[in-house]
Formats: sequence, C-alpha cells, structure tokens
Amino acid sequence: MPAGHQLPDSLTTAEDGDADVDGLEIEKAYVEAEAERLQSQQKSLLAVMLNINSVLTDAAAAMVDDSFLKCFTSAAPDPWNWNFYLAPIWLLGMLFRHLVLFPLRLTLLLTSHLLFFMVFFTVKLGMPSSALKLRVEQRLIRFLCGMYVASWTGVIKFHGPKPVPEGGHVWVANHTSMIDYIILSSYTAFAVIMQLHPGWVGFLQTTVLDSLGCLWFNRTQAKDRSLVAQRMADHVADPNTTPLLIFPEGTCVNNEYCVMFKRGAFDMGATVHPVAIKYNKIFVDAFWNSKRLSFTQHLVRLMSSWAVVCDVYFLEPQSRREDESVDEFAARVQAMIAKQAKLRVVPWDGYLKYYNLGEKHPGLIEKRRKVFADQLKTFLPAGGAVGSSKQEAAPAAAAAAAAAAAGKKGSKKAN
Amino acid sequence: MGQAISGGLTQRDVDEVISICKGAWNQYEIESLYKRFRSLDRGRKGYISAEELMSIPELSINPLAQRLVRSFESVNFVDFARLLAAFSDRASYEEKVRFIFRVYDVDGDGLVTHDDMQIMLRQLAGSSLSDDDIAWVVRKALQEAGSPQGLSLEAFKATLHAEDLAGMTVTVPTEL
Repeated sequence: MPAGHQLPDSLTTAEDGDADVDGLEIEKAYVEAEAERLQSQQKSLLAVMLNINSVLTDAAAAMVDDSFLKCFTSAAPDPWNWNFYLAPIWLLGMLFRHLVLFPLRLTLLLTSHLLFFMVFFTVKLGMPSSALKLRVEQRLIRFLCGMYVASWTGVIKFHGPKPVPEGGHVWVANHTSMIDYIILSSYTAFAVIMQLHPGWVGFLQTTVLDSLGCLWFNRTQAKDRSLVAQRMADHVADPNTTPLLIFPEGTCVNNEYCVMFKRGAFDMGATVHPVAIKYNKIFVDAFWNSKRLSFTQHLVRLMSSWAVVCDVYFLEPQSRREDESVDEFAARVQAMIAKQAKLRVVPWDGYLKYYNLGEKHPGLIEKRRKVFADQLKTFLPAGGAVGSSKQEAAPAAAAAAAAAAAGKKGSKKAN
Repeated sequence: MGQAISGGLTQRDVDEVISICKGAWNQYEIESLYKRFRSLDRGRKGYISAEELMSIPELSINPLAQRLVRSFESVNFVDFARLLAAFSDRASYEEKVRFIFRVYDVDGDGLVTHDDMQIMLRQLAGSSLSDDDIAWVVRKALQEAGSPQGLSLEAFKATLHAEDLAGMTVTVPTEL
C-alpha cells in the first residue's frame, strides 16, 4: 500500500458492482498518493524513470507484513510443560486425551449418529409434511449437534435471550469454523447458508440439513449467488421456517479479526439479530484453517483436546435506519459483534482467500501505472512520439528504430 | 523439555543471516521475518512459491508484482532476508541503488540495456504508454545518460541521489 493509505472499502466489495471499484475513492487513495510522490520540481527524464522506489517499497512492505493474511494465522499454543514435574503430567494428560478420551468420544459420536439416522429417516420418509414434522426434525438435529458438542466436552455459555422463529428476522454471526453452526444448533435449530462440502459432510448437508431449509451454494459461482439471494429472501419472509443463520464474512477467520461483512443478509429488509461467538483458546484453538486441515482432521483435533470453551452472545436485534445505506448497516452490526467478541475489524473481503486481487481487478494496477506513465508523458514532445523522431539526433544504434517508427507513423498519418 | 518458540531458529542461524545481510536486520527483525516466511510457506517446503506470494492482496496489485515474484519465488529464508535487506533503514544508499539496478536489469547481465528498459517500462506504465512512446523514452534515457549500449550501476548512482531513496524502507513488525 502507498504508505499511510488505507485500501478503501469500495475496493474490497465482492459484489458484481464494478462501478464501485472505479469510484472516486480509488482515485484518491491510490492515484493521488502516487501523483503526490512523483510531483517534484524539474527532474530529468532519467531521474523520473529510474526512481521506482515507491513501487518497490510497497511491494516489500506487503511481503514483510500484511493485514489480510494475519486474519488466518493461528497463534502458537502456549506450552506449560516447563519443568521436570509439569512435563510428565503433561505427557500423562496427552496420553489420556488420545488413548482414553478420544476413543470414548468417537464411540459416543458414532453411536449417536446411528441412533439419529434411524429415527431421522423414519420420520423423514414416514411422516407427512407438517409443522409437527419440522419440529420433530429440528429436535433431532438439536440432539445430534448436542452430541457433537459433548464429543468435545464443550463448555458453551449462552448469553442473551434465546432465539425464536419469526418471519422477517435473520441471524448473523462471526465465523471461525463450521462448528459455529453446530454449537448454535445444539441450543436452538437454525437453517444456514453454507458452502457445499464434499465427502461425508456434504452427505449430511444434503440429506439431513436440507429438511431445515438450508441453502447450499458454490462461492466461486456468481450465478449461484443471485439464486441463493432469492431463496434466502423467500425463506426469511416465511414465518413457518427455521430461523436462518448467515455468516456474512463468507469464510472462516481466526477469531481475532473480523473481515468485511457481505451485504446479502442486510439487504433483505429483515430485522437482523447479531450473534457474537468467542472461543476461549485455553485448551484448543477452534479456528478451522480449511487450507491446512480437512474438516475431519479438525474434528479429530477438537476431540483429542480437553475441552472446547466458548461464549455465545445473542445481541439486540437491529433494523436498518432510514438514513443508513445497506453497507453502513452491515458495518454497524459488524462493529457490534466485533466489540462483543473482541475482534479487530479489517476492511478486507474474506473471499480474497480464494482469488487473486490483481487478477480480478486489473484496473487497479492500470490506474497506478497510469500515474507513472503520466509523469513520463510530460517529457514526451507534444503529439506523442510521432513528430520528434524526425528531428532528434538519435544515437546510431537507435537510428534504425527511429526511422522505422517514423516510417510506420508516417504511413499511418497518410491514411 | 524445552520448546523452541521461534520454531527452529538457532542463534547460529540468526548470526549467519545478520552477517550475510551485513547488519541490515537485527535479531528481532530476523525472528519476525522468519515467522513471516514460515506463515507464507505452506507445507514447510523451505521456499515460497509464486502462488503463495501472489495470495498477498497488496502484492498482487503492485505493477511490478510479476518481476519481483520472479526474484523471490523459490528462495530459501536466508536469501529472502538478504533480498529484503535493501529495505532496512540500516541499509546503505549503495545497497538500495544496487537493488533498484538489479530490478531494472531484467536479463541480469550487469547492464540495463534497451530491451531491459522496454520490459520494465511496459510493467511500470502498462497500457498508458504506447509502444512508440516507450521506444522514445528509452532512446531519450540512453541519450541523457550518454551511453548508448545501456545504463550501468554508475549511471544509476549518478541519477538517484540519497534523498530520492530516503523513503525506501519498510518496518518489520517485532513483538517489542
């Protein structure tokens, strides 16, 4: 980044609003910064051309540290096996966790899955569609999620009033791992919008969670997004559906930072219930780095730790004020959640994890290049490189090039 | 049962890097750079791939991203620290100019020739300068420097003065 300049919010919107990207904010932050720096008294062409230090420094600064990748790093856990008696205790603890607790928990989980499937599929295929059926299915899913929480010996404290299903209401939360959904669902059933995963997770998603009206999408497909938006609106408007939970960050973040909230959840004219989730890293770090671990490995890690400790805060429902834009509303709710969960807000779009910013917005690079080009253009003779090549006493090596260029331009002019 | 918090960096490694970088980085900055290197290098390969470098959003929108990534990909940590040493505030003017020179010298033959400059200008100015404009600028630059074969490091030193490069520093975040 040009030193001392923040990347403006409009830049990091992942929406199809390319109009936003070309907005005035970009000009200011990026281009004027460059123009200011290159603005100088009479400098020779060579001096302007060779002094690329600002571009290089920005690149080096990005290599050394950047505020985006910070959101996805896990802090190294603090070891406590510091001396001759703590170390054996720690070792015993580790053996106990892996050889006793983990098998017990795994058995519990698998048995409850079995039980769940037997009852769930009986209900799903046997009962006719009705409000009662939905309630039974919700209760069953709550049971299963509760078993998951038990399999990590989860200590979850819920603060604030318990959510109830209502039309025109939607719930948003910060996102650290897929277990966010499991933890919330163990308390009260939620429908959710999520990326469709492969493997056994995908199986559970499509066969079980579908009954709650969950919405699945592929985050790299733009067309999916508009379809999902419509279904989302329909689901929320209907008072008989399960409360809809949305993770506006769009990706898992390490529970220390909060990346940009996408506007989808805030654009529906519904009342938004913010939910803040804060994990206590004392026994295990619950951040799921999906690039390093599969979900199964993540679960195994949780199951072989002492406990998952978590606080969930149900905050006051918010509606969009008249003088507020959708983005401002999203930012306001984000600030509420970040304050409760003690997260630092950063303006980056979570989806940058999956795409290359320079590739998606080449216009940004071109704008910065234009500033440099304009500086050089002040040295070009009026009318571009055309007229000058005839008059210049060009060095012998370049004379041929000059003549060729002149010839080419001359014929172009003649046309 | 001590645990290496710095994740495998010994004092000897640090001393080696300090001497290779000619004192540009102190111990804390090296620890920090090492942590950064490890976090960028997924899979503990010992080097950072081009893709991993381009996943840094601020780097991917830099006009010279491609050129720099070519120098930085597949280097180990010592070279990573050495390459970045030019941006330390303890680095000398000489080192900074030499870095710029090496970036400009695309084919690495010790001379910034007509071809080198064309490639660099294309990267720096993008589509805002036409081919003819670039050719003209290159000619004029060689003319000004008075050396038609190409610019040497001396020409760079003559043109870029110490105060021009004053802003060429990055701060490495340390825990202190």
